[in-house]
Amino acid sequence: MYKYVIRRMLLVIPVLLLSSLVVFGLMRVMPGDALTALMGESGNVGEKELAKLRKDLGLDRPYHEQYALWVWQMVSLNPGHSIFTNEPIAVSLKKAIPVTLELASLAMIIGIVIAVPVGVMSATRQDSASDYVGRVIAVSGLSFPEFWLGTLVITFAAIWFHWIPPIGYVSLWESPWKNLQQFLIPAGVLGFRLSAATMRMTRSTVLEVLREDYVRTAWAKGLEGRIVVYKHALKNALIPVVTIVGGQLGVLLAGTVVVETIFALPGMGRLTVEAILFRDYPVVQTNVMLVAATLVTLNLVVDLTYAWLDPRIRYR
Amino acid sequence: MRSDTPGRIRPSRLNRREFVRISAAGVGASALIAGGRRPAAAAASPYPDWLPASTKPPKRGGVLTRASAWDPPVIDPRHTQSVGLFQFAGLTSNRLVRHPFSDEATNPNDLTLKGDLAESWSANADHRVWTFKLRQGVKWQNVAPLKGRELTAADVKYCYEAYAKEGVQAFTFQEIEGMETPDKYTLRVHLKTPNTLFPQNVAEHVAIIFAREVLEEDGDLKKRLIGTGPYILKEHTRKVRVVLQRNPDYWDKGRPSIDEYVILSTPDDATRVAAFRTGQSDIIWRASVSDVEAIRKTNPNVQVQAYSNTLAPFGVALAQDRPPFNDVRVRRAISMAIDRQKQVDTVFEGHGILGWGVPYIYYQDTPPTAKDLGPWWQFRPAEAKKLLAEAGHPNGFETTLFYYEYFPQMSSQVQLVQQDLKKHLNINVKITKLDYTGYYGRYVDSKWDGMSWGFQSGHAVGLDERTYMYMHSKSTKNFFRVNDPVIDELTTKLRRTPDRAEQRAIAKKIVDREYDQVLRMWMPYDNGFLVFQPHMRNVAAGALRRTDGYGCPTIARSWIDK
Repeated sequence: MYKYVIRRMLLVIPVLLLSSLVVFGLMRVMPGDALTALMGESGNVGEKELAKLRKDLGLDRPYHEQYALWVWQMVSLNPGHSIFTNEPIAVSLKKAIPVTLELASLAMIIGIVIAVPVGVMSATRQDSASDYVGRVIAVSGLSFPEFWLGTLVITFAAIWFHWIPPIGYVSLWESPWKNLQQFLIPAGVLGFRLSAATMRMTRSTVLEVLREDYVRTAWAKGLEGRIVVYKHALKNALIPVVTIVGGQLGVLLAGTVVVETIFALPGMGRLTVEAILFRDYPVVQTNVMLVAATLVTLNLVVDLTYAWLDPRIRYR
Repeated sequence: MRSDTPGRIRPSRLNRREFVRISAAGVGASALIAGGRRPAAAAASPYPDWLPASTKPPKRGGVLTRASAWDPPVIDPRHTQSVGLFQFAGLTSNRLVRHPFSDEATNPNDLTLKGDLAESWSANADHRVWTFKLRQGVKWQNVAPLKGRELTAADVKYCYEAYAKEGVQAFTFQEIEGMETPDKYTLRVHLKTPNTLFPQNVAEHVAIIFAREVLEEDGDLKKRLIGTGPYILKEHTRKVRVVLQRNPDYWDKGRPSIDEYVILSTPDDATRVAAFRTGQSDIIWRASVSDVEAIRKTNPNVQVQAYSNTLAPFGVALAQDRPPFNDVRVRRAISMAIDRQKQVDTVFEGHGILGWGVPYIYYQDTPPTAKDLGPWWQFRPAEAKKLLAEAGHPNGFETTLFYYEYFPQMSSQVQLVQQDLKKHLNINVKITKLDYTGYYGRYVDSKWDGMSWGFQSGHAVGLDERTYMYMHSKSTKNFFRVNDPVIDELTTKLRRTPDRAEQRAIAKKIVDREYDQVLRMWMPYDNGFLVFQPHMRNVAAGALRRTDGYGCPTIARSWIDK
């Protein structure tokens, strides 16, 4: 087990190095740079001045030097400053990470809370009206993109209820109630989409497990249906579900970009998109690396969870 | 049920059309749908173009909130002219000279200069030396390190020198040869060349006076923005909010009326509309009549000001310093092959202007008609074809056009131009849509070939900025690559002409020359609407200065009637 974990952690290094090369290269390939974006529509900044600013920011150095410097900054946990705002990236991240973390966690909880019971219900009442309803919900979740659903939710909430979540982010510690109002609907939008695939997977795996011999034995022993389904069948059905949930973390993080924009939440998604638009190299690179590291870590956690869910699984 | 009478529309549920429209907006197709929804005839706006000042005495207090699309990139006025910053910087800080506030003006086109920090100003005989007499007793905001000390002429001198030294306003302030401060309240500015329009340049919204101590202590102005203005910047959290609090020591006694102005960063348009509908935002901009009508169905008592643009900020920029666009016949042919009225009727639902570059209020009283724009701006495809053949391109040619989609309708406009040129001149235009930074970097670099959907900066009000600065061949703001000796001569002459009537005559010659040579091929632009909550007073937007943008200083005179 430990050897497995160490091996996996060592594999993280080439993955992150490759990611860093890709993001560094892609940012340099894109036309324009942060300085031209910053000067925005003024046009009266001379070449001489731009050259000076580029030199000050180290943007005139050869690419390999820029890359080496950045990798060193990342390793020493000092990712530097934003070119665009001059704010230390660590400070920007400190503000943005809690927002995305809260949104993603809530979305995940909402997604699972919707997906698992509905999936189980669909499986246990296969081809009944409730199964069809559950499947329609799942297909809807897969079909509605976040930007469409989010726009519709906020527009109809304003028209029908004359209410939308308060704009202007407030942290959970500042005002828990206002914070919850701000997060529940966007998390619901994200969670609904997330629940779709999980719901379908839960349904199919529970259906499969319900046909296993040990479940038939449990029924034969005269156990209550609830016990058979939730204690005996569900735990074993959860392994593919956990894989799906783990695999959707990337989708979830991508979804936060759109949802944060619609609901005016200052999270990682908005920070990254703005940084890409304004060619804020250090911010984009740091954010992408952070997301890559998070995904790699979470995938490892998901893999390790299998052993807990199914004792037959052994890591070598 | 629809009604065209303002104030008579009852709130109702969404009907099928609106549902479809909102859904379409969600998938990014609203522009095309809007384009095909209205008959082609130009429609007069059902809303007034001016909201007169309230006759009641202003009430103190209240919070003005606005959901804003813009976020200030930085708060250093030396380094950006972005509306993100200047949607509030004009409230934290003053200029030497300003334009009338909405409670002083009688119509949106009133651009009579008023004293802001300067009480009076005058020039010597040749308009090379300008003397500004400052108000006495103006205090900086009572915030460290200024702590309410008095503003002096030396502060203004320092600020203008800093602008000239580096940053985006350098070109404007490098015109200054030197400054002197004979006493605490007098600033004498010596210009390198005569300029009768210099006060207009220091009245531009971006020419705010910032605090010397902050620049000296911090080395930049990126963290603190302290001024002498009616509001103190209390909070600036990027992507969240900007909070301005009433300056109790403001030199204009009794003002401002509103206690707090909160700008909420709201990048999504649907969210801004929802915020307005639910009272979380007091001001919103809408591009079309139907957008306004949709809001009025849920909020029937809102105030609407039809905003008539005095210029178009966008047009087709041609690489006119190289073939084929260095041939005036080619430029004229292209201009004649474009059906601008069709763009107004379809893309802007009939509520737009045909497009011209210099604010018309500087040379005539009413907006230019199609006829005023001259022969090359009429839609005459047969003559265009003939002219292009005369220029040696009977079978058309291939070219490119790059653009950034500043607003959704722009893509429709670009495609209409592409269709027109293909259909009438057999010119194949390959379109490239870029993101902002890619577009901007390439556009201002001025080395591109073919065409671009070009812009002129949105902040400028003054005639000098809109003529000499944007059209003179030596100006760094001459994005359209105008290189015309007649324009150079006229724009320089304009700066040396003190008489208003003569100025108007020269400005007219400049635009006539521009139209004749098709130096900047302006494209239609929407007029739009400002929508205010019913309780807002004295908020009307003036020409070239929207209350929710560069024209924010007028909020110093606004008040909340509830």
